[in-house]
Amino acid sequence: MTLTDVAPPQPRTSVAPRRRARGPASRRQLTAWMFLAPSLIVLVAFTLYPMAQAVYLSLTDYNLIKAAQFIGLDNYVELVSDPAFWNAFWNTVLYAAVVTPVTVVLALLFAVMLNQAFFGRTFVRTAIFLPFIVSLGIIAIAWSFLLDPNIGLLSYWLGQIGIVTEQGWLTDPRFAMPAVMMVGVWKFVGFYMVIYLAGLQSIPADLYEAAKIDGTNPWQRFRNVTLPLLSNQTLLVSVLALIATLQAFDQIYVMTRGGPFFTTETLVMLIYREGFQELRFGYASAISFVLLIFVFILSMVQYGWQRRRAVTY
Amino acid sequence: MKTQHWFRSRRVRGIRVAVVGAGLLALALSGCAGQGSGGGEDGGSADGKVSLTFWNGFTGPDGPALQQVIDDFNASQDDVEVTAEIMPWDTLYQKVLTAVAGNDGPDIIAMSAGRMPQFAQQGMFEGVDDYYEDSANDSAALAPAAIEASVFDGVNYGVPVNFTPMMMYYNKDLFEAAGLDPEAPPTTWDEFAAMVPQLTVDDNGDGKPEQYATALGDHETVPVFMSLPWGTGGGVVSDDGKTSMLGEPASIEALDFWVDLVKNQKASPLGLSGADADKLFTTGKAATEIVGPWMTTGFDEAGLNYGIAAPPAGPDSDAILADVVSMGITSGADDATKQAAYQFFKYWNSKEGQITWSSGSGFPPNRADVADQVTSSPYPAVFGAADVVDRSKILLAGVAAGGTIGETIFWPTLQKALNGQGTVEELFSAASEKVQAELDK
Repeated sequence: MTLTDVAPPQPRTSVAPRRRARGPASRRQLTAWMFLAPSLIVLVAFTLYPMAQAVYLSLTDYNLIKAAQFIGLDNYVELVSDPAFWNAFWNTVLYAAVVTPVTVVLALLFAVMLNQAFFGRTFVRTAIFLPFIVSLGIIAIAWSFLLDPNIGLLSYWLGQIGIVTEQGWLTDPRFAMPAVMMVGVWKFVGFYMVIYLAGLQSIPADLYEAAKIDGTNPWQRFRNVTLPLLSNQTLLVSVLALIATLQAFDQIYVMTRGGPFFTTETLVMLIYREGFQELRFGYASAISFVLLIFVFILSMVQYGWQRRRAVTY
Repeated sequence: MKTQHWFRSRRVRGIRVAVVGAGLLALALSGCAGQGSGGGEDGGSADGKVSLTFWNGFTGPDGPALQQVIDDFNASQDDVEVTAEIMPWDTLYQKVLTAVAGNDGPDIIAMSAGRMPQFAQQGMFEGVDDYYEDSANDSAALAPAAIEASVFDGVNYGVPVNFTPMMMYYNKDLFEAAGLDPEAPPTTWDEFAAMVPQLTVDDNGDGKPEQYATALGDHETVPVFMSLPWGTGGGVVSDDGKTSMLGEPASIEALDFWVDLVKNQKASPLGLSGADADKLFTTGKAATEIVGPWMTTGFDEAGLNYGIAAPPAGPDSDAILADVVSMGITSGADDATKQAAYQFFKYWNSKEGQITWSSGSGFPPNRADVADQVTSSPYPAVFGAADVVDRSKILLAGVAAGGTIGETIFWPTLQKALNGQGTVEELFSAASEKVQAELDK
């Protein structure tokens, strides 16, 4: 699954000498490089180069048209004292802290429920997975309509049971963030559910049989068999979900544009605003780099913490 | 717990794959590099014509009118061929800089004159002062405010596409239903405030009115709210664009008046975008809306029985918010492109061009001398009436930080005030300092 799962390189002596003798080392290396080349070219051209470029740009004052002016760490100094940055930072943390666990828990819940055989199971599975296939932009537009205070179906239904918001759900500072969070969960839960489903189906049935013979109840079986054996999936799902939520953008851009008064502005929204609206690409790059470091650190911590619980078969 | 080797490990041996993947990738990469022709700076074409790409955001019923003028221009001579690319304004603002930087941009760009300084400051536009110096272009006939709107730092970067005051549309049926005279729309703030209790109707008493006195947007909208401080002699910035005025008592007084009207008297729903406001008036849920002539067709199609009047005047000033859309030439244009663009500008603002544009779009003509020839539609005459044009004022003219001041300071602060997150005075006094900081940058 990850690089660290690959066996460490064997010491030279253990490499079969006869095989090596077949051809010169350079040729064998060439073969290896040729296999690696496609991935490496993509990686360098579309990941490493842009990343290096972004780091360089973060040290400049750059607007796309005039040449970039090198200004050292000025962007980072400004960033530390920029209330807009800290607002976006804490919004991002809040978004990730709520959406990640809710998504993962719901995905697990759905997966366990939909792993049982019942009539219409395929339909329910599809219904939950469907939002993941649809573009987030389209989803966000659809939800904006549903939540519209004047023509929205959902607003109407809520109004029927006595829940009215005088202004729209998306422009009320109390509800805007929960609304974009809900759409984020709704969109991604199906994808993680499918990963969990795959995990569930790979748990051998004899474990459950053994547990039953031992006289366990369903909750104990879930707690002691299902959950531990799903920890690989949980690691994958929670790392993916965390990275995705820290980069929340589409639904926020379409539904609220970061408003009302920046209550839903996340770091990626801020990067977009500083870059493409304020035309400050250097500053936007600096924020991107800070976000990159933040995501990297959190992912590593999460990985290190959860890997100890990983199961190997 | 016992772990099992239930995955059957499979050793794949002896595979020799031709590196098809790498080959395909190389093709794909070279394909990327090969793009980027078309449009851009070269401008020339096979038949010797200069072809110009013209980006603009006239997506509404005004789009066909714009296309008509361009078609007429293309047919009128053999040297220049203008092609319009129409897209929503916000898309245009987002795309334009990357397109120009990538040498794949348009030759002519239309945008609100209020946004132009920001892009001019980034070096995106060529100065067009020599266009105005050439008396053959007949610029003297144009409304001076329309010309001045695109001046930034002493250089004019644009030629007006249109100039339009925002007028108050009011729903006569709703006025009548409220027991008001449908031929007597409010003329002052106080008259309007007095009508609010009659025009805002909460039938079922759930605290959310079914009908509002007006539809006043607080984000992504025509900046009517931003212009309201003019009414008491205040403003967002001073006329020279150097000093913030948001914290001045006059501005606070005006904002206080309107925030109270919207928030406490429920004169308008909170959180409306421009599109929401239009929708509200179109569906008969708002009795008034202050907006430009581009909505006329939509209101007609909705079958509204409406009147158009000047927006209510403030106690100290009756200034009317006006907007100018200007067209500029992207920087780095060669001389042939520039001259071709000038030819088009001249045609656009000629009598002929303006009559076609005005008749088709409902915008008032840029030149007063053809106003009486626009007879196919009544609206250009209403919006272009002399007393209306004389009262017209342009918001944040020539202020490079104009876009930023609106998007990141004024609207968010207003939303805070409307949501009761502080008093108008403390919120806008703090905002005023931020505005000053932007102006000083």
